[in-house]
Amino acid sequence: MRYAILLMGAPYSDQASHSALRFARALVARGHRLEAVFFYHDGVHNAARLAAPPQDEPHLVDAWASLSSKHQVALQVCIAAALRRGLLDEREAARHGKDGVSVKAPFELTGLGQLVDLGTHCDRLVTFGP
Amino acid sequence: MQEPHDDGDLLVILRHGPHGSSWLKEGLDAALVAAAFGRRVSLLFMGEGVTALIADQQVGALGQKGTAATLEMLEMYDIETLLVEAQGLSRLGLSRDDLMLEVECLSPVALARVLSGHRLVLTF
Amino acid sequence: MLLHIVNRSPATSRVYLQALAGMSPEDRLLLIEDGVQGALPQLVPYYAGLEGRLFALREDLASRGLLGHCDASVQVVDVDGFVILTEEAERTVSWY
Repeated sequence: MRYAILLMGAPYSDQASHSALRFARALVARGHRLEAVFFYHDGVHNAARLAAPPQDEPHLVDAWASLSSKHQVALQVCIAAALRRGLLDEREAARHGKDGVSVKAPFELTGLGQLVDLGTHCDRLVTFGP
Repeated sequence: MQEPHDDGDLLVILRHGPHGSSWLKEGLDAALVAAAFGRRVSLLFMGEGVTALIADQQVGALGQKGTAATLEMLEMYDIETLLVEAQGLSRLGLSRDDLMLEVECLSPVALARVLSGHRLVLTF
Repeated sequence: MLLHIVNRSPATSRVYLQALAGMSPEDRLLLIEDGVQGALPQLVPYYAGLEGRLFALREDLASRGLLGHCDASVQVVDVDGFVILTEEAERTVSWY
């Protein structure tokens, strides 16, 4: 089946991101296709490239990137929710005159239309909230 | 038994009031975008979410916009199915007369049926 | 048939009432994260009427030391079981 995940919890603040990652790995292990993880609300913080958790804790940002490269999972971050929370890719940083970049590939800033699209063409969309 | 999805493409459940968090705003944004993409969207105000509909809301003390202006635009986006959990209203001592928009009040049985009737349900 | 997912404890949050309000008679309920507290014998009566349709996630019970405390009426599933529940349901609704 074709799946998408909607993640709305911030990493390390609550369990939602860990739950979503566990579920994502189990999905692909069972042979399903995970089209995308869509990050919305505080879930956008999962895309923070400067996150530096202690080495003996799961590194969620890296784990999403690794899932994405192994299984061709799109990591789509709501651009409106991200900009408000200080998460900018190179293009947005330049556009807003900021000297730092907090989001990079494989995370991509995108519109809510992508979420609507995932909800329409995937067989299942599973939400993880805080 | 296969449930028919004939009520709409997307049900957005709003469970938070205005100003206290961004849940209501971000839920409404998702609904508006889906409607702009031509999807048939219904809104269900549940629990504390019913307070989103109270009349006479104002901007916040720092000029935060709130959500009342967005709610007034729903008709322009062809979002006309506005559902309210009847118990959510009565729990707060509110009635439909206190609300800024025409809504349909749902009994518990009708509420469960609405969830089954949509192709996709998003909770905010 | 829908799969409802709850991640809050009925002892501290009213979210379980929203999930119950949204459930049709054939729908299933999966308890995850702090929601697994609802599988304890003392709290499982909040979910009266869901016998055979109430599930709890094994790893969230285990990480909290609650695996041995689960009520017999609750079906414990691992993360693969979680995926299977989403396969079997037409779609899922999360309450958090």
